[in-house]
Amino acid sequence: MPDIIFQSTKHFWPEITLALTFIAAMIFEFATKKRTTGTGILVLLGLAAALVQLPSAPSEPVSIFGGMYAIDPFSTFFKYVIIVTGMVVVLFSFQSQELKKESGHTGEYYCFIAAVTFGMVLMTGSSNLVMIYLSIELVSITSYILAGFSKSLRRSSEAALKYVIFGALSSGIMLYGMSLIFGLTGTLDLSGIRTALASGHAVTTGWSFAALMAAIVLMLAGFGYKVSVVPFHFWTPDVYEGAPITITAFLAVASKAAVFAVMIRFFYVAFFDNMLASTGVYSSFRNVDWSMILAVLSVLTMTLGNFVAIWQDNLKRMLAYSSIAHAGYMLMGVVVMSNFGLSAIMLYFVMYFFMNLGAFYVVMVIADKIGSENIDDYRGFGKRAPIISVGLSIFLISLTGLPPTAGFVGKLFLFSSVMASQFIWLAIVGVLNSVVSLYYYARVLKNMYLREAPDGDESPIVFSKVTSAVVILFIIPNILLCFFYQPVLTFAQRSIAILLPGL
Amino acid sequence: MTFETILFYVLALAGIVSALLVITRRNPMHAALFLIVNFVALAGIYLTLHAQFVAITQVLVYAGAIMVLVLFVIMLLNLQNEQDLFEKRSWRSYSGPILSLLLLALLLRTVAFVSGGSFDRISPESERIGTVANIGQQLFTAFVFPFEMASLLLLAAMVGAVILAKKRFP
Amino acid sequence: MDVLDIAIALIKIVVMFVVVLLTVAELVYTERKISAWIQNRVGPNRVGWLGLLQPYADVVKLLLKEDIVPAAANRFIHTLAPVISIGVAFSTLAVIPIAGPTITLFGRTVHMVIADVNVGILYVLALTSMGVYGLTLSGWASNNKYSLLGGLRSAAQMISYELSMGLSLIGVIMITGSLQLTDIVHHQHGWMWNLVLQPVGFITFLVASFAETNRAPFDLPEAEPELVGGYHTEYSSFKFALFFLAEYANMITSSAVITTLYLGGWQVPYLETFGLSDGWMVLVQILAFMLKVAFLLFFFQWVRWSVPRFRYDQLMNLGWKVMLPLAIANIVLTGALLLFL
Repeated sequence: MPDIIFQSTKHFWPEITLALTFIAAMIFEFATKKRTTGTGILVLLGLAAALVQLPSAPSEPVSIFGGMYAIDPFSTFFKYVIIVTGMVVVLFSFQSQELKKESGHTGEYYCFIAAVTFGMVLMTGSSNLVMIYLSIELVSITSYILAGFSKSLRRSSEAALKYVIFGALSSGIMLYGMSLIFGLTGTLDLSGIRTALASGHAVTTGWSFAALMAAIVLMLAGFGYKVSVVPFHFWTPDVYEGAPITITAFLAVASKAAVFAVMIRFFYVAFFDNMLASTGVYSSFRNVDWSMILAVLSVLTMTLGNFVAIWQDNLKRMLAYSSIAHAGYMLMGVVVMSNFGLSAIMLYFVMYFFMNLGAFYVVMVIADKIGSENIDDYRGFGKRAPIISVGLSIFLISLTGLPPTAGFVGKLFLFSSVMASQFIWLAIVGVLNSVVSLYYYARVLKNMYLREAPDGDESPIVFSKVTSAVVILFIIPNILLCFFYQPVLTFAQRSIAILLPGL
Repeated sequence: MTFETILFYVLALAGIVSALLVITRRNPMHAALFLIVNFVALAGIYLTLHAQFVAITQVLVYAGAIMVLVLFVIMLLNLQNEQDLFEKRSWRSYSGPILSLLLLALLLRTVAFVSGGSFDRISPESERIGTVANIGQQLFTAFVFPFEMASLLLLAAMVGAVILAKKRFP
Repeated sequence: MDVLDIAIALIKIVVMFVVVLLTVAELVYTERKISAWIQNRVGPNRVGWLGLLQPYADVVKLLLKEDIVPAAANRFIHTLAPVISIGVAFSTLAVIPIAGPTITLFGRTVHMVIADVNVGILYVLALTSMGVYGLTLSGWASNNKYSLLGGLRSAAQMISYELSMGLSLIGVIMITGSLQLTDIVHHQHGWMWNLVLQPVGFITFLVASFAETNRAPFDLPEAEPELVGGYHTEYSSFKFALFFLAEYANMITSSAVITTLYLGGWQVPYLETFGLSDGWMVLVQILAFMLKVAFLLFFFQWVRWSVPRFRYDQLMNLGWKVMLPLAIANIVLTGALLLFL
């Protein structure tokens, strides 16, 4: 056994780097005890160190630590998204006025970003129910703390509390599901579950089938809570609104990516038969029709997210509902469970990374300037702060999925993957939803360009050069990726190899 | 009827009755106390299954530490009887028992599946599995990776708790 | 398991119970005598020779008093609390071995321990953790603010010190490689007592034991000057006597546990060189065990009358910032020594 562990660590260095970063940052913060950004820089360097080690990951799937953890191109792809998001969020946090004003412990804040990144990376490769639970808890607990970090703000504490209550409930539900699966298959290992189901060892008729169904629904509740799928989305608006904006951005992008990775791995490895892999579409064992359940959830999620977003006056809250809707879109890729669908989800995450982080960044700098996230306060911004306004417009258009932006390509591939798998009605619902989303995104644009500032104030609002540069840096990929998406797509297509037993 | 069988039925009865009392008592203090009784009864059942370590941990961690904190909170909050919760008889108050029964059926089926349909004997394996030595062995070989990750999780949770609980920033 | 086995077990339990009860009675006497001696007074000297029967007179007095339960108290829990306290104090003694060799009684081999559980240490810890309910519940059920404060304090104090208690034990477990108390005693052969091998662990465990038994300087739950009588303010007559009994029984239990874990239990160095028969060995070892316990009991009382009470924040600081790190450092040190030596 010690041999296995020492052999395994050589594939595990990115994760080890992240864990060491967390501990080193904490010791550094403890030793210096200054409210400097030193810890932030240390965390940034640690994340970068983990990032540069990712390309040396083996190109063939490897199982390490006795089947507890999987290193495969699929998880490596998501690790890129997560770690880069972590770095961007650290950089954003250097600029955030809210963090400086409302919370003194910025050092620990950066420590926790390292911890939560580590947890998310761990999620992408977990191939055992115990590891799935532990990594989800690591992410959840650190997220609760981060959401409540602006301690002097009432809404931030409220967000953290709501997050904790919903989170505790959903992880309890998920544990119930895991225990049922363990009882039915006698193993915690995902590949073991697959073998048990494939060999017919687990009877899938009558009560056992009902128990299996119940277990999957309970597991789905746990995953669904983390990605805010509709019946489990209640915490999302309040937490996204209350948490520091940097954390909201982090939760909206990296957390979703990690949970999608672990959810896809769970369903793909445990429940899908790879016999039909030649056609690119996988069939589930014994006609368990998960795709229908997921399709319904996906429709509910995007419809509710988009329709409720219409009524929001707070831009942060509106983006929260929009992120619920986006979770619905991405769920469509899981519904079809084909190679095409998986690569579409991965492509979408790259696009989503650029458009969502850009939008949150603009909301952050504007809120720091005018002290409000209210859409009505954006009136007249088109004249007063042109670069920022153009940036926000492009990000919102990209979120809608209109050409010529990155969001268009992302949606295009998602919808066509759904069409390719004969879920035409689902694709139509998706397109209709995009139309609805245009309405509320356009409302922000209308306020910025067509309305005058309330008191006729047309004095320009000056943003620092760094801010403008960052916005421009985010605009460029949002436009460019619409035309030159091919490298990303190829990379995504090469990264769909998930570790399977006996392959 | 061997001594162990009698012991099992006594403990099982105590466990079920106390569990029912936990959810029917209106005084939160009484409910918490019956929960402790329930935990101790469960620990006894674990003992009859030769799982000494789990049994002791159940008492040490749940009955001894967590429930003390629960009592602590109840005392500090000075909760009154939850009368108003019981006056509303909506569909919720009926769906609870139905869902519980369904879950019971599922659990029974799952347990029956694992034990091959027989409930009347304890696997001879259990004598070996439940010992502290075996649990330690497993924890530091097959499950050493989750074990280490759990320690990181607890570290993060601990630091976070301190930060959230601190009143003012220096 | 037939009738004879059960009878032998019952005899053991009864003997242990009676011995502890008698010791408790005399402990009350020695406490008063020692306090008098330290404070340069005479102490009880009227009832019996040198006042030795004073505790029995006290018991009679307590039993004859009226049992008062406050009108707004929760009657059931108010009665239950002292029972929990006393029950926990006595049941811990079940796993303490008092002599090494076995003796033969009615054709049966009899071990000098009531129950040789293979998770003995954990059993002790588990019961200790249950002990807090007695004080906490009595504080709550009395419906009196002083009692409640006492109860809350005891809960916080015991949870805080249980951690360092459990962690300091790990050093002993690492050296022995077993959780069974008989193994731990056997391992401390000759002069290799755990006191010598684990000095830091011994100190943290001793301090934690003081806190767990609510003895001065950790008697904050009953702190007379501020809380009247703390958790037992509203208790009288027999229930009060039970609390009193529980406090001293807890002292005996703690002393016995410390003796077993750190002072070599029943071990007497060089005893086997005398070539005694098993029967005599048992007798000498029981005596040695009792002497060690008696010394610790004296130490408990000595400290009570010499050291002033902590303030609440000092108590918490000591527990979390001194004892806990010390206990953890002890584990690391022990591990390093075991690995490299």
